[in-house]
Amino acid sequence: MESQMIKSTSGDVLSARAAHNERLARRADKTRALWFPLAILVLLLALPLLQFVGNYNYMLHLVLLTASYVAMAAGWNILGGFAGYVSLGHNVFFAIGGYFAGMILARFGISAIIMAPVAGLVAAAFGYAIGLITLRVRGPAFIISSIAMVMIARLLFDNWHFVGGANGVTLPAPNLSSQWAKLPYYYAMLAIAALTVWSSYRIKHSKFGLGLRAISKDEIKAESAGIDTRFYKVTAFAISAFFIGMTGAVWGEYLTYIRPSIFLVILIAANMVLMCILGGKGTVAGPVIGAVLLVAFNEFFVAMMGASELNILGTGLIMAVMLMFFPLGIVGTLALKGRLPRILNWD
Amino acid sequence: MEQIIQVTILGIGLGGVFALMGSGLSLVFGVMRIVNLAHPSLIIAGAFTAYWGFRLWGIDPLVMLPVATVLLAAIGVLLYKVFFERNAKSATYSEMTVLLTFAIAMIIEGALGAMFSNTQRVTSPSYATDAFFIGNVFIPKGQLYAGLVSMLIIGLLAAFLKYSRLGYAIRATTQNRDAAALLGVNVNMVGLMSFAIGIGLAGAAGALTSFVFSFFPAKHWEWIAVLMSLVVMGGMGSIVGTVIASFGLSIIAAFVGAYVGSTWSTMTFFLALFLVLLFRPQGLFGEKPELL
Repeated sequence: MESQMIKSTSGDVLSARAAHNERLARRADKTRALWFPLAILVLLLALPLLQFVGNYNYMLHLVLLTASYVAMAAGWNILGGFAGYVSLGHNVFFAIGGYFAGMILARFGISAIIMAPVAGLVAAAFGYAIGLITLRVRGPAFIISSIAMVMIARLLFDNWHFVGGANGVTLPAPNLSSQWAKLPYYYAMLAIAALTVWSSYRIKHSKFGLGLRAISKDEIKAESAGIDTRFYKVTAFAISAFFIGMTGAVWGEYLTYIRPSIFLVILIAANMVLMCILGGKGTVAGPVIGAVLLVAFNEFFVAMMGASELNILGTGLIMAVMLMFFPLGIVGTLALKGRLPRILNWD
Repeated sequence: MEQIIQVTILGIGLGGVFALMGSGLSLVFGVMRIVNLAHPSLIIAGAFTAYWGFRLWGIDPLVMLPVATVLLAAIGVLLYKVFFERNAKSATYSEMTVLLTFAIAMIIEGALGAMFSNTQRVTSPSYATDAFFIGNVFIPKGQLYAGLVSMLIIGLLAAFLKYSRLGYAIRATTQNRDAAALLGVNVNMVGLMSFAIGIGLAGAAGALTSFVFSFFPAKHWEWIAVLMSLVVMGGMGSIVGTVIASFGLSIIAAFVGAYVGSTWSTMTFFLALFLVLLFRPQGLFGEKPELL
């Protein structure tokens, strides 16, 4: 009798809480402008129609490049932003995805676009295994171990003859006219980017994401509150590797060659980190804004100066300025001041 | 047998240079708790100083060494003032300074690359390619001199830390920053001085590096993990530990290079880094797990 009463009241409490949360969520939905990212997505999906009236390959390339960085930065953000584990070695999964799909394409002729999810899973499996090892340490030690991870991967890929060593492998180019050659990769990359951003939104609003945020605030307290921190961290690592691996698969086929010097350069890892810091670590819109701004900046820089060394210098300068003055990034700083425009509130 | 002696000697030669590279990094971490990823790029800046001294005026790199040291120490003061002084109280200090030094490394690499281009360079005084022979065993003069000079500098550093007043203050701050401040040590000044000394040591190491290895602005990425492995293995902040780890790992790496293949010798450092981080994150000589 008594236990039944407790059950019924606890059920009431739970349903009341669910209703309350629902109300809060509805209010949050009102301040969120979901139409904005959707409108951009529709616009970008329609963009290739321009090819009928002229040659806009360069513009398509830029959107494709931005989309690939959006996917990578948003993927990185799941570990680096939500869980607070900054990795400077996530381009290893970019390489694993690219090489896996590239080798399948070279051997069996199966397009990397079809193989991308599998390549992502392979990268995630590696991410899970590496995460089990490196996530035992945190803070600066984790960052150092992530750099060592890139160095080891570079050494292995440079000397692995099956995948062509330092020279890499040339992949067959698609049999399409130059007007339409970019389209499959364009749509694939756009789909991956949209999927990554949507997933990061879903993760942020799940119990899993809440646990990750607890870990980033105070891991010991999170552990004592009953969160299986090890499982959460390693899973976050694997998920972020999954999206970056998929990006690598499509990117390799798009470039028509795979080579350690494209995937395993520290600048790519630095870009992922910088985009998240620029836009705002741990926010959904942050990596997207960071990627758009950084790609635009890079194109401008290369067009103006034409030198990759100055590009590295500029990347470093922006990173230093952001870290020193706006460590929360654009979205984070604006949100803190209550000035975040509704169209950028995707959280 | 002869080959074993030969390989050991080559390993010791490299170990001497690495020890100097690592000790500056270790000093900066000990006092400031900054994991300075920009250290290798500053070493390259020191190497360029020695290189241009030799190329333009024919000054021996060993003579340019004090110049590089002072120049880099001045750069260290500048970096400290611009980047690190204001952040000392930030909550995510250690993680943020890692990223900040990463950004500084990119700035320095970009600046050096834009000025001097990314071609391989090496300073070539007459002794750089010469060697002593004892029986069939040869000792390359360049590495010998570099190792001896770096041992001398590390000895001076150790004496300075042990006997001078500033050395006391530095060691006290390394042990416990708050307690040192309570006892009247000006920890900000100590931070600045040790940062300058640490970066100055990078300049000295760079001058020696310039005739032991060929270098180019982007090469510092290869050294980051190598130097980190030395410093982490020695116990972050322990200079003695760093020196021992440098010699130990360099000799192992020389053997791996001789018997497994020269491409794999750097793998020794990376694997050592991983293993130490996993099983003994405080390092071989560290007392408590600093990084955990």
